[in-house]
Amino acid sequence: MRKYLYIYKSEVISSLSYVLNIVIGIFSYLLLIFIFFNLWNYIYSDSSDTINGYTIGDMIWYISITEILWSVAGGRKFCRKICDDVRSGNITYNINKPYSYIGYLLSSHLGEVTIKFIIYFISAIIVGFIFVGSFPEITALSIIGTIISMILAIIINSLFIIFIGLVSFYIEDANPLYWLYSKFLLVVGTLFPIEIFPEGIQGFLKLSPIYVITYGPAKLFVDFSVEKFLNIIIAQIIYIGISFGLCKILYKKGVRKLNVNGG
Amino acid sequence: MAVIEAKGLKKEFKVKVKEKGIKGSLKSILRPKYKIVKAVNGIDFNVEEGEIIAFIGPNGAGKSTTIKMLTGILYPSSGEMKVLDIDPTKNRKKLAYKIGTVFGQKEQLWMHLTPYDNFKFFSAIYDIPEKEAEERIENFIKVFELEKFVNTPVRNLSLGQRIRAEIVASLIHEPKVLFLDEPTIGLDPIVKDNIRKLIKKMNKELNTTILLTSHDVSDIEKLCKRVIIINNGEIVLDDSMQNLKYNYLNKKILELRLKDKINFEKEEGIDVIKEKGTNLKLELDTRIKSISDVLKLIDPENIIDINISNTPLEEIISDIYKEERK
Repeated sequence: MRKYLYIYKSEVISSLSYVLNIVIGIFSYLLLIFIFFNLWNYIYSDSSDTINGYTIGDMIWYISITEILWSVAGGRKFCRKICDDVRSGNITYNINKPYSYIGYLLSSHLGEVTIKFIIYFISAIIVGFIFVGSFPEITALSIIGTIISMILAIIINSLFIIFIGLVSFYIEDANPLYWLYSKFLLVVGTLFPIEIFPEGIQGFLKLSPIYVITYGPAKLFVDFSVEKFLNIIIAQIIYIGISFGLCKILYKKGVRKLNVNGG
Repeated sequence: MAVIEAKGLKKEFKVKVKEKGIKGSLKSILRPKYKIVKAVNGIDFNVEEGEIIAFIGPNGAGKSTTIKMLTGILYPSSGEMKVLDIDPTKNRKKLAYKIGTVFGQKEQLWMHLTPYDNFKFFSAIYDIPEKEAEERIENFIKVFELEKFVNTPVRNLSLGQRIRAEIVASLIHEPKVLFLDEPTIGLDPIVKDNIRKLIKKMNKELNTTILLTSHDVSDIEKLCKRVIIINNGEIVLDDSMQNLKYNYLNKKILELRLKDKINFEKEEGIDVIKEKGTNLKLELDTRIKSISDVLKLIDPENIIDINISNTPLEEIISDIYKEERK
């Protein structure tokens, strides 16, 4: 485990070189929140109204949290790097070390997004408060619960991206798959809570990655209960187990197919 | 004791064949065609403990593919291999603790970290206890003279400094076998010489077995006692450096500066390589004609200066490649 912590730590140190880039990136986050703030203001004719159980404040807070997850854990660069490494054969320089390649990718990605996560989280709290004017009913437990759930969500999302990246062992380019996945996450999982969708597909969405990657943590922030927390955390742990297992299988089979040109 | 054993090692790649033009591209989508490329075609060799061995060949000969198989990165199509008694395909992780690799064309260090932090990182990767790691790092810094740049981020180092740090990073776990894939590529002669000294030092002090691939003949000449030449996936020569020079140094180069121009009659065993005024450059096959035979053909009074040299090793190796192609 020490080695993965070191990989994580080294990546955190490396990412400190890009703090300015992260700060600049916040502007696109703020712009999106601003657009949705106005959109929901227009939809909610009265601030005391609720839509599917959400007040306008809940909606803004919900999207603030999901948008952090989408922006921080997005991983377009991360997926492209895995695809390129597999296609170009650069993967060989990582697999001749005494660690699990999946473990390496995961800890390195988590290290890369840690500083970004902290900066976005603090910004979201400040901006959310400025827009909404108040916090939802929060306690120390709900804050800790939300943060734990957000960390697990980022882990699951990272594993999904790793899985998509490793598909490159089998197809020429896995980037289009990532594009589909990220757009699904953005349109269905980030902009609206599951309750907004027709009842018929809510069941499906609650079983989909959206429940554990975006909806779960955001729901805990706006409407925390221990029962919800346990439900979401258990679902997240199951998702981590399954996605990690799938990544391992895909890697184990894929690495045998590796074609690397000589030097 | 043999630390590397390869027996009938083969690696075949399935490569897509595409006809030219749009039509060819469309056709390859609907009905893809593949051809089998034999990158390594049944090679056998052993490397003994403490040897520095040159593993050379032209581009695409199969050198790097062999190294990648021996380090467990690629799975061989057939054949057997053992490195330090471990089968790389079955126990890649276990083997990784005992071997080191440096790929001159690819950095393994973290660019934003200093060499010192990188060494700490690699120590953790190889499960070296903190205290022991610090002792080793201090020792390596002294031995390989890294004091001046050990705390500078890798991205700000010169290529030579980076390669030195790369080599130390690959030695941190004190590997028994080190695979060096073109470690001096792109370096200036002074830095190259430093790197060679460093390689010699680690072989002497740590008894590290070293398998070196390089296109730079001076690397091979200065470091290795044994040479394996591979071409088209097959070993074409496995011999000591001494034998290689002895068997292939039949040719001598004679450079003459004369008072008066002479006309050389074409004779077997003597080739006129260059003739410019009174300067003459001859290549001599000593199996057919001795040096004294040639000198008898020239009036000694007419010779101002003479220089006799061996054919450069680079030419010898390139001749071996060419012979194999024929």
